[in-house]
Amino acid sequence: MSIHRTDWLGALVVLAALALVPAILGSTYVTGIMTVALCFAMWAASWDFMSGLTGRENFGHSLFIGAGAYTAGFLNVNFGASPWWSLAASPLVAVAFSLVIGFPTLRLRGPYFALAMLSGAAVMQSLTIIFSEYTGGQDGLNGLFPFFDSELAQYYLTLFFLAATVATLRLVANSPWGTILRAIRGDEASCQAAGINVTFYKIASLMISAAFAGLGGALYAHYQLQVGPDLFAIILSINIIIMVYVGGMGSIYGPVGGAILLILLTEALRAFSEYRLWVYTLILMLILFFLPQGLVAPLWRRLRTIVQ
Amino acid sequence: MRQRIVSLLAAGAAVALAGSWAGAAFADEKPILIGITTAIQVQVGRDCVDGAKLAIDEINAQGGVNGRKLQMAVADEGEAAAEGPKTGIAAVNKLTGEDHVDVLIGGYDSGVTLAELPHISRAKTIYLGIGSASPAIQQKVKDDYEHYKYIFRVNPINSAKQAKGLLDYITGMLKGELGYKRIAILGENAKWVQDMVPAMKTGAEAAGLQVPIAEFFDVQTADFSPIFAKVKESGAQYLMIILSHAASDVFVKQWYDAKVPVPIGGIDVKGQDANFFDRVGGKAISEVSTNFVLRAPLTPKTIPWWDSFVKAYNRAPVYTASGGYDAVYIYAGAAKRAGSTDTDAVIKELEKTDYMSARGRVQFDDLHEVKDGPGFVNELFVQWQQNGERKVIWPKDVANGKMIMPPWLVQN
Amino acid sequence: MAEILVYGAVISAIYAMLAVGFTLIFGVARILNLAHGSFYALGAYGVYALTADAHLPLFLAAPVAVLLVALFGVAVERVLVRPLRRSTLAVLMITLAVALMVEQVLLLIFGSEARNVPSMVNATFHVMGADVSGQRLLALSGAIVILSGLWFFMQRTRLGSAILAISQDAEAAQYMGIPSDRIYSLVMGLSAGIAAAAGVLVAPFQTVIPGMGLLPLVKAFAIVVVGGLGSIVGSIVGALLLGYTETIIAFKISIEWSQIVSVAAVLITLILRPAGFFGKRAAF
Repeated sequence: MSIHRTDWLGALVVLAALALVPAILGSTYVTGIMTVALCFAMWAASWDFMSGLTGRENFGHSLFIGAGAYTAGFLNVNFGASPWWSLAASPLVAVAFSLVIGFPTLRLRGPYFALAMLSGAAVMQSLTIIFSEYTGGQDGLNGLFPFFDSELAQYYLTLFFLAATVATLRLVANSPWGTILRAIRGDEASCQAAGINVTFYKIASLMISAAFAGLGGALYAHYQLQVGPDLFAIILSINIIIMVYVGGMGSIYGPVGGAILLILLTEALRAFSEYRLWVYTLILMLILFFLPQGLVAPLWRRLRTIVQ
Repeated sequence: MRQRIVSLLAAGAAVALAGSWAGAAFADEKPILIGITTAIQVQVGRDCVDGAKLAIDEINAQGGVNGRKLQMAVADEGEAAAEGPKTGIAAVNKLTGEDHVDVLIGGYDSGVTLAELPHISRAKTIYLGIGSASPAIQQKVKDDYEHYKYIFRVNPINSAKQAKGLLDYITGMLKGELGYKRIAILGENAKWVQDMVPAMKTGAEAAGLQVPIAEFFDVQTADFSPIFAKVKESGAQYLMIILSHAASDVFVKQWYDAKVPVPIGGIDVKGQDANFFDRVGGKAISEVSTNFVLRAPLTPKTIPWWDSFVKAYNRAPVYTASGGYDAVYIYAGAAKRAGSTDTDAVIKELEKTDYMSARGRVQFDDLHEVKDGPGFVNELFVQWQQNGERKVIWPKDVANGKMIMPPWLVQN
Repeated sequence: MAEILVYGAVISAIYAMLAVGFTLIFGVARILNLAHGSFYALGAYGVYALTADAHLPLFLAAPVAVLLVALFGVAVERVLVRPLRRSTLAVLMITLAVALMVEQVLLLIFGSEARNVPSMVNATFHVMGADVSGQRLLALSGAIVILSGLWFFMQRTRLGSAILAISQDAEAAQYMGIPSDRIYSLVMGLSAGIAAAAGVLVAPFQTVIPGMGLLPLVKAFAIVVVGGLGSIVGSIVGALLLGYTETIIAFKISIEWSQIVSVAAVLITLILRPAGFFGKRAAF
């Protein structure tokens, strides 16, 4: 699986479109929604890197998101630290969490691993609510301040980090590292027998996944200006998996498309008022049923063969 | 032939002229846009919208405000549990950034409202809260007036004041009238409750009562038997409850079914619903729940307002209905007095609000909070009695009935 | 103490019903059915709709609701799952979509407010010194009856043997002429029916809201994994463990901590015994 020249071209086109759309449409509403979409894209891409490649579905990705977001919240609200510190601290804290949960659980397979990660996130969510004096409980931490006063500048910052994330993850996925991760999905025992330190690769991929998820969490926190226990919720992890699936698992860029598509869809369906989520779920169902390979990645692959 | 064409052209010109003149006239009357942000899939959200709509229709029928009609734009805040505050923030951005509303009305979940505040402030739009109770919301008005002067709370009384009301009930009614010595406190683990309960406990103990249990439970809890058993064991004589999003229906049903020998009362938002008693098959009997509005002559406006809401929508209103209704009238009043919808001018007039609503007299204090106390909006303690009748049993000066005990505790 | 025993038993029994259904469909068809919580919710709403709107008497509404949900389960398997069977992930995602869809439909039809289902047994009983509502005892006995019936069905009937055969070796079973496709649908219906029965039994004393299926699904998932995927005995043991842990913590410490402790217990179990108590692929 190599990166064709067309892939780079396609990526540039998409990047340009993402950069121009909010500038042209101009309202805080569009810019805000796009910023949220980009954060979800980072979370989806980071999930795909670990789970898409190794086939270990992580049902608790929100653990890293919440860890990153709350780190940003604590630094900003309790210590008055500048948001720029969050960009460094959040990934580190998320990685720390990944080590704590990863070591004992990575030897688990399939549903066992999924459940273990889900439990980890659920425990954090409960703790956040119980220790409300420190975490603000259900209402969360309020009063974070943004990177810039301009929403548009904040958006471009997020876009920059998304691009960096996708580029990095793609490059690693295409390197010998990526091959090993995919081999682990195929047959872990053979890899072990061939002398590969499977544990190292599994932990490392989880750490990388966590780092980018935490980074996304920090960017999200400084957009929303609030962090709450909903960032540890099971439903968040599930929504991200849906986005990855719709985008096309294993492609890294597919999940980005899936995330942006689904976030925009939830907003675009406002016209349906109380039927909004029902219509959204219906569309989701149709996609999941008729396109088991996803929507975005297969579409791009077909486009690419036409262009070439 | 030519005659025909000429008359046709003349007619066409006349119509065009009339149309453009009419268009020009109505073009001046751009409607005042009222943005509503609330959780539209939930009853409290729908009542906010319907209450506001009732007010808008009434005001428009009387000629509008400053010669302009009122128009409503609704944006769903989504369900906080499932989507977090992001849908609420998007709703605020949509109404302010795209629709350019003149005022925002709404709110239900305090967490969502708190998250929305910086975005509302950025948009420099007035916000009249009608459903969230956290004191932290209005505290911002004091801490940073310049940025948060836009935020007002029309409804309900904030949770800190509600806590005082509860303490008043504990010392006055439970200790004073009933002579209880031991009570238990149970609340859902929402932030505003977690802040309220320790204060209640300290206050009760200071008044000489024992509080062996002061506990929280997760909003999703479906089984309360452990807590009922613990309360029974502790010897508590009354169980103060604070429920808002939690499963009140199940709570009272389980309490009734297990014949827990301890009466319950406190804040039960779902227990405020007019059909709550029937919904739980009558098992809410003797439960006391605070309420801000019910079909009783709290003010001269209460019963007429209640009846017109029922007539328009075929159901009884909940607290957000009167909030939405009052907020529209309060804004309209301020805009009329200011003579325009210029935000700063309207804010100055809003601060001087003196409006008689169905709930009581609405004035704002220096935190832009609705004032409470005698003559203003009050927290009433309402008990479900036989056949679903509701009686106000506290405070004494507005009580219209005597408190009853759960049927299984009544000595025969 | 008596309270813990009795209430713990009731909760464990309900969990057991949910877990057994979940593990059944996994053990037989290798389907991680994320719509399992929806069958539970549909059972509760079904009995509500039949009593409140169709005015059926309760003793009739209950089995009708269970039957309807079982048929719905069969339909889901036939229409949505079977075409995607090749990919376990695709099946997972489509059942997830079904779960989300059911919740939205329930919300739109019945609204967000909790619905009231009348109790089948209104009396309060005094068991070993604890006051327990009759409905809870009915739920406990109902669960025992249903699970015993299931065991009997699996061990003593031809159909049950066919199901066992498929769960042990699907290919071999097919060579023996056992129609695996039909069996899968049947098992899905059975699984859905048991979940719906749980919903019907608890509806009078639990919250009937559109989202009521999520938490039970997560608990069923946890119990099944901890008990060993595909093992019915494991599910029952797991259900007892989880049910009693929750009840004991709730009574002794606080309700707030009961949830988090049980989740933590699940996590620790997985770390210590990665294949669950009774292992993967253990026969029934």
